[in-house]
Amino acid sequence: KAMHFQRQKLMAVTEYLPPRPAIPPRCLPRQEETRQEENGYARLLRRQVEEAFRDNRMIAVCQYNYMPGEDVVMMRHYLRKHNIEVKFFLNEIVRPVLSQSKYKNLLPLFVGRNVLLVSRETKAKEMLRVLKGVPQINLLGACIDDTILSRKGVEYFARLPPLEAAQGQTVGALALLPSQTSSLLQRGSVYLTALLDQHIQRLRAAETESPAEPGPAQSSG
Amino acid sequence: MRRWWLPAQLAARAGPGGLVIPRAGLKQYTQPPDYSGIIIPERTKLKFVDKVPSVPKVRREPRQLRDIRGPSQEATDFTQGQYGILALGGGYLHWGHFEMIRLTIGRNMDPKTMFAIWRVPPPSKPVTRKSLGHRMGGGKGPIDHYVTAVKSGRLVVEIGGHCEFGEVEAFLTQVAKKLPFPATAISRDGLEQMRKEEEEKRLNNQNPWTFERVVTGNMLGMRKYLSPYDLKLKGRYWGKFFLKHRV
Repeated sequence: KAMHFQRQKLMAVTEYLPPRPAIPPRCLPRQEETRQEENGYARLLRRQVEEAFRDNRMIAVCQYNYMPGEDVVMMRHYLRKHNIEVKFFLNEIVRPVLSQSKYKNLLPLFVGRNVLLVSRETKAKEMLRVLKGVPQINLLGACIDDTILSRKGVEYFARLPPLEAAQGQTVGALALLPSQTSSLLQRGSVYLTALLDQHIQRLRAAETESPAEPGPAQSSG
Repeated sequence: MRRWWLPAQLAARAGPGGLVIPRAGLKQYTQPPDYSGIIIPERTKLKFVDKVPSVPKVRREPRQLRDIRGPSQEATDFTQGQYGILALGGGYLHWGHFEMIRLTIGRNMDPKTMFAIWRVPPPSKPVTRKSLGHRMGGGKGPIDHYVTAVKSGRLVVEIGGHCEFGEVEAFLTQVAKKLPFPATAISRDGLEQMRKEEEEKRLNNQNPWTFERVVTGNMLGMRKYLSPYDLKLKGRYWGKFFLKHRV
């Protein structure tokens, strides 16, 4: 039904006017959307990463190209023999964990497909030997005993003598001087005895020359 | 059924050269929806609705179009179901409409996991029709058929059960388009959202002149051109129409 003109005018006057803020919202910096609630699974993975970094002495980051399944299993088996575990972590979980811990300088390594080799002992030589036989995995860097080493650094580290030998060497080098202390102290008295011996020999030599005849007669008599 | 086992979409941010490298991140599992508090009644399908009430009316009733005008006072909220059809205008539903609703919903829903209930009474208001081609006069015509009056803001049917809005929305909109008044498929959340938006609009309206204010104060003698019902309707309703864009 048609509205009276006055009514139409009233409807036109009393229309809704939306609010107009002084600065339109599209000129303001964009508000970041509130973070989605944290996945329990992500939290678990993060905890695992932290544990891996805390418990193990040697952590090596390698680039992981495609490898057939059985090769992966064989490689894991060989590394297991030397007590080295192969771990796969997602970069998007590892990166925030590292950026908040002391391993900030390892961040550039965690880009692209990578795999973590962790171990309690530092058997770099065996690890390098296994990895040499597997061309699809390339060592990028390692963190051994909280020291970051590059690929070259790991090779040098592998060439170092084992810990016991190195310890023995240092102990020997350090113990060299104290071992000489006793001989040093005894040197004076030893020198004196040597001199006295020599003197006695010279006196005996002089005695045997002069009383050569009465000597043996006396001794026989 | 919505596929809750498929992971949520990852946002691929463009790199420095505008290049986007798709990469797979951590799989985000979404929880399946929880249907614990929903009881499915025995008769899940819509009941058959009679064309004529069991006691047909003898006395012919006046037209009384005021049962179409204005907002509805009954059946405005959900009771058992979660989704429904909301009327956004006034009108009459006759037996043909009822059958169409019953059959369409019955065809498209799963009687084992979903149920539907009428929120509208069967037709009881008699509508008279004079035979075609006759001149005016000669008294009121005989009763032709029966209808139910529906005001705007009333729910027509309610659907519930172990289902999501996405599945149900399809056939509900199909039904809603065929009704004689404008209607939409709506869920509980949707209804709440709608009411909240209306309230916000009413509060942050920058226009100092509102219909309500003009009418209650009779500014400029406007009430001469308006109906006494406009005090209640406040410019949002015009006859059977619900003016959604107002205030």
